[in-house]
Amino acid sequence: MLAYALRRIAQAVPILFLVSLISFGIMQLVPGDPAAMLAGPNATPAELAQLRQNLGLDRSFLVQLGIFYSNLLHGDLGHSLILGQPVLETVIERSPISISLAIYSLVLTILFGISIGMVAAMRHNRILDQIAMVIALLGVSVPNFWLGLVMIVLFSVQLGWLPTGGYIPFTEDPLGWLRSATMPAIAMALMQIGLLARLTRSTMLEILGQDYIRTARAKGLRETTIIVRHAMANVLMPIVTVIGMILSVLLSGSVIVETIFAVPGIGALLGNAILARDYPMIQGGLLFVASALLLLNIAVDLIYAWLDPRVRLQ
Amino acid sequence: MARIKARLLACTAVAAGLLSWGTAAAQAEICGRKGGDLVFGMEAKLSTLDQHVNAANATRNVAMNIFETLMTRDENMAPVLDLAEQLNVSDDGKTYTFKLRPGVKFHNGKPLTSADVAGSFARYKRIGIDRSALDAVDRWETPDDATFRIILKEPRATFLESISASTVPIVIVPADQSNAEPTQLKPNGTGPFELVEFVADSHVKVKRFDGYVPNKTLKGISGFAGQKEACLDTVTFRTLAEPGARTAALETGEVQIVEDVPTLSRERLSKNKDIKLVQLDYAGLNLTYPNLSQAPTDNLKVRQAILASLNMEDIMDAASDGAFSLNPSFQFPGQTYYSEAGGELYNQNNPEKAKALLKEAGYKGEKVVLLTTRDIPRAYTTALVMSEQMKAAGINAELLVLDWPTALGMSVNESKGWNFFFTTWITVTAQGGAQSLRNLADPSNVHKPVGNKSDEEFMKQFNILSSSPDLEKRKEAFAKAQARVFDQVMAIPFGAIPKIQATRANVEGYIPFFNTRVSNIWLKQ
Repeated sequence: MLAYALRRIAQAVPILFLVSLISFGIMQLVPGDPAAMLAGPNATPAELAQLRQNLGLDRSFLVQLGIFYSNLLHGDLGHSLILGQPVLETVIERSPISISLAIYSLVLTILFGISIGMVAAMRHNRILDQIAMVIALLGVSVPNFWLGLVMIVLFSVQLGWLPTGGYIPFTEDPLGWLRSATMPAIAMALMQIGLLARLTRSTMLEILGQDYIRTARAKGLRETTIIVRHAMANVLMPIVTVIGMILSVLLSGSVIVETIFAVPGIGALLGNAILARDYPMIQGGLLFVASALLLLNIAVDLIYAWLDPRVRLQ
Repeated sequence: MARIKARLLACTAVAAGLLSWGTAAAQAEICGRKGGDLVFGMEAKLSTLDQHVNAANATRNVAMNIFETLMTRDENMAPVLDLAEQLNVSDDGKTYTFKLRPGVKFHNGKPLTSADVAGSFARYKRIGIDRSALDAVDRWETPDDATFRIILKEPRATFLESISASTVPIVIVPADQSNAEPTQLKPNGTGPFELVEFVADSHVKVKRFDGYVPNKTLKGISGFAGQKEACLDTVTFRTLAEPGARTAALETGEVQIVEDVPTLSRERLSKNKDIKLVQLDYAGLNLTYPNLSQAPTDNLKVRQAILASLNMEDIMDAASDGAFSLNPSFQFPGQTYYSEAGGELYNQNNPEKAKALLKEAGYKGEKVVLLTTRDIPRAYTTALVMSEQMKAAGINAELLVLDWPTALGMSVNESKGWNFFFTTWITVTAQGGAQSLRNLADPSNVHKPVGNKSDEEFMKQFNILSSSPDLEKRKEAFAKAQARVFDQVMAIPFGAIPKIQATRANVEGYIPFFNTRVSNIWLKQ
C-alpha cells in the first residue's frame, strides 16, 4: 500500500510541472493587458510603458518563465500584480474558506444525494421514486446563481433567518460560520446532490438485481440487512469515485456562488485574477489548486485500493 | 504678500473653495451623534488601497477616507487646499509655496512634515498612474518642516488642477514609503479613519483616528476637502458585487448604505420607509472613441455620417434603464467649462443626412467594428443600440464583444481590428476642462489618430486650455476644442448617467459624491 501511495505521488510531479508550464504559456497567449487594467483607458502610452516595466511585463517570455521557475524552486509563487500580496500567502489564506464550504457542501451532497438515490431505488417506479427523481432533476437543472438569489430573498429578506452574504470563519464563531455558509453551501451542493442521487439510484438498482441479493432475499434476510450488509459495499465503489470528483469541483470554488454571497474563497480569487489578468496569481493559484486536486485524487485512489485490494495489484 | 495672495485668489480656482465657505472656523457640531458601526455595500471588488497606482472607483471609495492630499477638489471640483493651509504663487507663476497645516499626524502617530510630502510626490512621479500631472515640475524643495515648494519649468495655469485631480490622487504618505513598489504601499495616512483590516474581495474595515486634525478653514465636508470628522466608531466597506444581493442586504439592515442601486430596484426601494434614496445627477459620461487609424472611420465623412445617424435618447434609455440626461458637452451643466459648442451635431437622429454623407465619403459597405464588452452592461447596450441605428442608416455595423480586459487591451494596444471603443468617464468629466479633453490630445491610449498626432486645430485650443492664465480664455478654448471634437468626430458623448445610492433611514448627513465619504455621517438612534 505504501509503495502504491509513493508511486502515485511520484507520478504527480511531472503533472504539476506540465500544469505550471501550460498555465504560464496560456497566460502569455491570452489577450488582455494587466497594465491597462491597472491604469485604465486614461493613462498615456508612456505611463503604460512605465507601468509594464515596473511590473516586469516588458521582459521576454523565456526570462519571465525563468524567473517563475527560479522563484518556484525557492517556494515563492511571486507577488500578485493587483493585490500586491505574496501569491502563496494569499492562496493559503483563502483555502480554509473554500475547504470549509466544500466540506459543508459535500456533507449535504452525501446526506441528501445518497438518501434520495437509495429511497428512489428501494421504491422503484413508485411515487417516492418519481418525487426523488424530480428533485434530482431540479437539482441538476436549476442554475446556482438563480437559486442563490431566491434563497437570499426568502431566507434573508422575507424570513430574516440567514445573512445575505459574507463569511465568518468557523474558528471565530462556529454558529456564525454555519449561518454564513449555509446558503452558499446549498447553492453549490444542489447540482451535486442531483447527480449523486441519480448515480446512487442506478447503481443500487443494478446491484439489487444481482443474483447474490436475490439469494439473500430467498434466505429470508431482512431488507435492511440486505441493503446495509450486502448491497452497500458494492454501491459505495462507484460513489467513492464520484465523491472524489465532486469534492474536486467544490474545492475549486464557484466564482458565481462566491460572488453572489460575497465569500472571498479560491473561486472568487482566481475569477478576479483572470478578469484582471493578474498573471502571477493565476499561475500560482492554478498550481496550488492542481496540487490540492492531485492529492485528493491520490487519496481517493488509496481509499479505492483499501476498499478493493485488486486495485493495488493493478 | 497681500498682492500675491490677491493675485492667487483671482487667478486660481482655489478662490472658489475659500470664498464658498469663508475663513470662519466652524464651531457647529458636525456629528449629530458619536459612535456606532456602519457597513457600506460596494458594487466593485477592491484589490488595493495603493491610491498612487490605482484608478478604480472602489479604491477611492475607501482610500480617500484614510489618506489626504496637499490639494484636492471641492464639491464643485474646484481645487482647494487640504493638508496645506496656505499657498503662495510667485509673480512669475513658476514657484508654488505650500505651508502645511500644523499638528497633522499620520495614523502611526508621526507628525506630517514637508519631507513626507516630498517623498509622496517622488513616489508618484516614479510610479503614479497620472504622473504626467507633474510633467511641468522642475523640482521641489523642503526649506523647513512646514514648507513645501514646487518650482515649475515654465508657468502652467492648470497646474493646481493637475495636482489636485482626484482620479488617481497624489495622496500623502510617510516619507519612508517613498520607495514602496506599486501596490506595496502601507495604508498609513492622515485621514479621519485608519485601517483596521483589509481582506481583498471581501471587506475593508476602518476605525476613527483619534489623532485626526481637521481642516477648519472650510466648514463641513466638500468634495474630499473641508472639515471632516469621524462620527462613527468603525466603517466596514463590504464588497457586494451582485446588485440583487446588495439591495437585499440594505433591506435586511445588514448594510446601511449601498452604492449603485439598479434603476429597476429604485421604485421598490422608494416605497420602503426604512430606506432613503440619494442621487448624484451627473456621475458619469457615457461615450465612445472612434479609431481614426482604421478604415472606414479614418474617413471624416464616414464618422460624420455615423454621428448624424445617432439618436442619443434611445441609446441612453436602453443603456441606463431610463435614468439619464442628454448632455451635448464633455462637461456637465453647472461646471465651469460647460459649453454646448458643437451641440448642433449631437443627437441628430438623421439617417437621411447620414446616407448623403456616406455617399459623399464613397462608402462601399465596409465593416464598422464596435468593440465592447458584456462585463459592463452599459457599454454593451450602448454599442448594441448604436449598431442598430447605424444599420438603419446603411452602415455595415458589427459588434465585437470581448471580455473587458481583452477589449481594453485591444483598444489600448491595437490600432487595427476595431472602429469604436465604448467606455464611461466617471471622474474624468468632473475634473475640469483640460482634464476631460486630455484623453483626446496626443499622445493618448485609446484615441488613435494617425501617427498619434491629434487634430491640429484641436491641439491649438487644447494648449490654450492647458496653459492660459486667463480663465475666460481657457473657457473659450474649451468651447472651440469641443466644437472641433464634434466636427471631427474625435469622440461621441451619448449622455450623462446618475449615480443612485440608498441608505437606511437612520443614516444622517450622507451626501452623494463621485466617491463615498464616511466622515460627517452618523447613525440616529
